[in-house]
Amino acid sequence: MLTFMVIIPVLLAVLLFAFSSNRIAKAAAVFIQAALFVVSVYLVLITRGAEVTTVVGSYDGILGIILRANSLSAVFVLITAFIFLAVSVYSFTYRERKDARTFWFLMFLLEASFIGLFLSGDLFNVFVLLEVSTLVLVILAMYDRKNRSIFHGKVYLLANVVAIQFYLLGLGYLYRITGALDMERVGESLGAMDGQNLILPYALIMTGIAFKSTLIPFLSWTPKVRLYENAPTVVAAVMSGLQAKAALYLFMRFQEMFAPVAAQQFFLIIGIIAGLFGAVMAICQTNIKMILAYHTISQIGLITVGISHGGEHAYIGGLYHAVGHAVFKTALFLCAGIISHSYGTADVHAIRGVMKRMPAVGIAALAAVLGITGAPLFIGSVSKYFIFYYVDSFTKVIVILLGLGTIISFVKFSSVFFGRSDLAGDAFKADKCKMIPVVLMGALCFAGGVFGTRFIYFLFRFPAAVDFWAYVQDAGIVIASMAGGYFIYKYLISGRAILNRIEKINFSFKQICASIGIFLAIMLVMIGYF
Amino acid sequence: MELFSLALFFISLFGLITSKNMVKTVIFLMFMQTSVIMFWLKMGIESTAAPAPPIISDPNMLKDIADIADPLPQALTLTAIIIGFSVTAIIVIMLNHLFRQYGTTEWQEIEEMENKKSC
Repeated sequence: MLTFMVIIPVLLAVLLFAFSSNRIAKAAAVFIQAALFVVSVYLVLITRGAEVTTVVGSYDGILGIILRANSLSAVFVLITAFIFLAVSVYSFTYRERKDARTFWFLMFLLEASFIGLFLSGDLFNVFVLLEVSTLVLVILAMYDRKNRSIFHGKVYLLANVVAIQFYLLGLGYLYRITGALDMERVGESLGAMDGQNLILPYALIMTGIAFKSTLIPFLSWTPKVRLYENAPTVVAAVMSGLQAKAALYLFMRFQEMFAPVAAQQFFLIIGIIAGLFGAVMAICQTNIKMILAYHTISQIGLITVGISHGGEHAYIGGLYHAVGHAVFKTALFLCAGIISHSYGTADVHAIRGVMKRMPAVGIAALAAVLGITGAPLFIGSVSKYFIFYYVDSFTKVIVILLGLGTIISFVKFSSVFFGRSDLAGDAFKADKCKMIPVVLMGALCFAGGVFGTRFIYFLFRFPAAVDFWAYVQDAGIVIASMAGGYFIYKYLISGRAILNRIEKINFSFKQICASIGIFLAIMLVMIGYF
Repeated sequence: MELFSLALFFISLFGLITSKNMVKTVIFLMFMQTSVIMFWLKMGIESTAAPAPPIISDPNMLKDIADIADPLPQALTLTAIIIGFSVTAIIVIMLNHLFRQYGTTEWQEIEEMENKKSC
C-alpha cells in the first residue's frame, strides 16, 4: 500500500503531462488526489496500532528499500495529501497556458517526493528525495520567469546543495559507526553507544537539516524568502505549508534517533531566535507574500520551541501547531494569491477593502489570521495553549513575546481587509474553483480550534485535555496582546524609516556559506566536541 | 584518505565563501561533492587489508569475505554522483542564463544590479 502512495502521484504526473489541457484529465487528477487524501486518513487510522512497513523489491530485511509509516509520518503524509488536494482544486481553471503540462508534471513529482520523504525508512533515500524535492521546487518557483527569480533560484539551489553535502558527510560517519542506514536500526544501535563518537555525525547532519528548515539564524532565511517573492501562488503555498514541514519532520526524527547527544537546549535557543527575529522581519515587509514568508520562519521557530523544550504536552502542542500551520498558512498564501491577482499589486499599503470587494475570501483569510495569531476558538489557540502551559517560566515569556510579534505583523497584514477599495468600479469575479479550498480551509481553522482535543486525539492518539479556566486565561492573554499589538503597531512602529532599512537587508551567497560553517562550529562547541 | 577528504571538504567550503566568480563557485561545489564521495568510498574498504572489488566473475575464485570491499557505499556513491551531475547541470544552465542577462558572472556585480532593480 505504501508503494502505491508514492507511485500514484508519479503516474498522475505522467497522465497530466500527456493530456494537459484536457479538462477530463484534470478532473481525474482532482479525483485521484481526493482518493489519496482518503487513503492517507486511513493510514493515520491503521498506524495507531502498529507501524506499517513495505519492502520494495523482493529482498527482505535490511537489503530492500524500506517504506515505513508510523504515527508521525502518517500525519505528515495526511498534510501532504491535503495541501495538494487543495492546490489542485484551486488551480483547476488556472494555468491553461501552453506550458501548463510541465507545471503539473513537476507539481505531482514534488508531491511524490514529499510522500516518499515521509515514508522512507532509509536515510540515504532521504538524501535522494531531499535533493529531488529541492530541484523540482526551484524549477517550479522560477516557472513564471519573472526577471529576478532566476538569480534567487540559483542562490537557493546552491545554498541547499552545500547544506545537503553536510548531511551526506554526516551520513557517511553514521554508516561507519553503525553499519546501517535503516532509521530503526540506526536508532537502536545509537541508543547503546557512547556519546562522544556521535557528536560529529550529529552536528554535520543537523547543520544540513537546520539549513533546510530555515533554523540557521538570519542567513538561511534570505534565499528561501526571496524565492517566495516571485514564485507562483500555489508553489509558494506548497513551499510554506510543506517544504518547511518536511525538514522539521526530519529534524524530529533525528532528534529522536540521536537521543544520547541530542542538543535540546541549543535548538530551543535557535527556535527562540528564529521565532522572534522572523516576526521582526515580517513586520518590516511591505509585500504581502513576503510578510507571510517571514512569518513562516517565525512559526517554525515556535514549533521548534515546542518540540525541543521537552515534556509530552509541549511536544504535542508543537506538532499540532505544525499541522495547523500547514492549514492556515496554505489558506493565507492562496488568499494572498487571489487578492494580489485581483488588485494587480502585492503591496500591503496599496490594497484596501478586501472585505467589501470579496467577502468570502476576506472572511476565510480573516479566519486564517485568527488561527495563526492564536485567537480563542481558533486552531492556533489550542496548540499555543499546550506549548504555553507546559513550558518553564522563561519560555512562557518568550511564547507570549512570539505571540505578540505574530499579532503585530498581522495587524499590518489585516489592514488590507478594511477601508475602501479604489477599484470599486470593476466587480470582483469569483472563481469557484479558487474559492472552495480557501473557504474550506478557513472553516477548518475554526473547526480545528473548537474540536482541538479531538483532532489531537485523532492525529496523535494523545488524550489531551484543555482546562477551561486556564484556556480562558490564555484567551485573555491573547486578547490583551492583540490590543497591545494594535497600539504598538499604530503608534510606535508604523511609518518608521527603520522598517524600510530592515526590509532591504539581503545576504549574499558567500555570507550564507559562511553562516553554515559557523553554525557547524558553534554546534560542535555547544555540545562539547572540543 | 579520510583526513584528505575532510580537508578537501572544508577547503572547498572556504572556496565557496571566498570565490568572487560564479564559475569558481560551481567548481568548488563539485570539489565538495567529490570529497564526500571519496569519504564514502574510503569507508567501504577500511576494514580490509587488501580490498578486492565486490564483483566476482568466477564463484570458485571467491576470496575470504573479509577481503571484499563493502558494496553498499559504492552503490550509494553512484547515486550521489548522478544526483550531483544533474544538480550541477541545472546550476550551469542557470549560470548561462544569468550570464546572458547580465553579461558577467561576478557575484558582486550581479548582486548590485539585482539590488538596483529592487529599489
